[in-house]
Amino acid sequence: MLSLPELQARFAATLFGDTAEPSGPWIRSTGIAPELRLGIYRNNLQEGFVKTLALEFPVVQRLVGEEYFRQLALRFLTRHPSRSGDLHHIGAPFASFLRVEFAGTTYQYFADVAALEWAWQECLVAEDDEALDANALQAVPPHRYASLRFALRKAARLLASPFPVTRIWELNQSAVTTQETIDLASGPEFVLVHRGVGGARIRRLSAGGFALLSALASAAPLAAALDAAVLCEPHFDLTVSLQRSFELGLFARMSFSSDRS
Amino acid sequence: MLAAGIGLRAQHHAEILAGRPSVGWFEAHCENYFGAGGAHRAQLTRIRSRYPLSLHGVGLSIGSTDPLNTGHLQQLKRLVREFEPVLVSEHLSWSSFDGRYLNDLLPLPYTEEALRHTAARIGDVQDALGRQILIENISSYLKFECTEVAEWEFLTALVRESGCGILLDINNLYVNSMNHGFDACSYLDGISPAAVQEFHLAGHTLTRCGGCDIRIDTHSTYVATEVWELYGAALQRFGPRPTLIEWDADIPALSVLQAEAAKADAMLETFCAIAA
Repeated sequence: MLSLPELQARFAATLFGDTAEPSGPWIRSTGIAPELRLGIYRNNLQEGFVKTLALEFPVVQRLVGEEYFRQLALRFLTRHPSRSGDLHHIGAPFASFLRVEFAGTTYQYFADVAALEWAWQECLVAEDDEALDANALQAVPPHRYASLRFALRKAARLLASPFPVTRIWELNQSAVTTQETIDLASGPEFVLVHRGVGGARIRRLSAGGFALLSALASAAPLAAALDAAVLCEPHFDLTVSLQRSFELGLFARMSFSSDRS
Repeated sequence: MLAAGIGLRAQHHAEILAGRPSVGWFEAHCENYFGAGGAHRAQLTRIRSRYPLSLHGVGLSIGSTDPLNTGHLQQLKRLVREFEPVLVSEHLSWSSFDGRYLNDLLPLPYTEEALRHTAARIGDVQDALGRQILIENISSYLKFECTEVAEWEFLTALVRESGCGILLDINNLYVNSMNHGFDACSYLDGISPAAVQEFHLAGHTLTRCGGCDIRIDTHSTYVATEVWELYGAALQRFGPRPTLIEWDADIPALSVLQAEAAKADAMLETFCAIAA
């Protein structure tokens, strides 16, 4: 008689397709054959996985078509099975899977589109933290501006892509029927995905704005973040960029760098 | 909460909040609200302020021989603390092995080993949550050679060993009785009325597999006539209990679910009157 761990190991291996082992005498064979009975569960596993992935990556699905998306999703299931009782997490490694899958092809941009869609999904359910009010800056003496650090809100993600990913995203929403073609060489794009009062939003940033926020997000003090911004955008306007960031409610907290050199 | 409730779906959140429809209570799938924040969670908070709520887990993998997923349990604990549900339930099933999740409700063999394991795990979950949970009978499409006892005997022993309650899914019971060829009324007779604290009603589909009929628990359609009849027999045996209409795929307008709930309410009222 199979022990409980042995039974579960065999059941899972059969459903994931790890083993070609015949299902054997561990399942009662009355009426419908055991292989067909297991097939019902394999179908549940695969269809549930494909359906959830399609809900998380509707733009990728539209780009590749439903049937090819299904094939991709089943390959992805083999490589990256769910690791959580909450199926919503399955999409986390999808962009990196696509990056490997389409490396060196003209479809490399699929991975960046998937990264954008996953950032959107994460922003939808990120923690509801309070936005820092711009008035907080008034209490800061000017000589301490350089050492200011800003923590981004939980529902904010930054992505850069050599491809026009936001344009691809916009033109592949389910309601859009345009025949407009997109020049894949019209990138790069610097993107902010965040959730504000009206829900999740995707915004294009300037190269400098992206560099500033990326540096701040990695805990750099304002002076270093400004250096990074000016390096890729010589006429970068810090005041305008910070003002816009406060308007969008991108910051959660402000602190001072301990290193004020 | 002795009325019919409706399984809460995000598609209906806005309508529920705008129209305040007459619904006895709602039951939410825990995992749909595991996210730390966002619109759905905020809407659940507002719905909870207006209606009784039950939390129904689908992913804790209670019967798995993997270590209990403490991260999942902590998320559940956080939801229970925040939303103060009237009832908390999970399934008599497993869904993971060696860290890989199948995210489906997989059947257990009804053996002494599975009983000891599952009862201990339910005990761990109840200790962590600081409250009793209900365990639901699932639909199944196969039986294991090693199974030693009937499902109702296993459930009864589980209640005795762990102190959990039973969420009796009438549709799952009907589906299994047809798929595996047993008498659903004998099953009802085998369960103690004191253990049953909630009923589920849902739709299933009939399909062909290997030249035979098989009923699949799809939650995608109306409650079948035979399931309504079995619900009547269950009310007769156990008395009125909170009853949920579940519809999780091809989700219809809220009014369709309300109409199904009204049918359950009418049957509940009859038995409430008898009980009085």
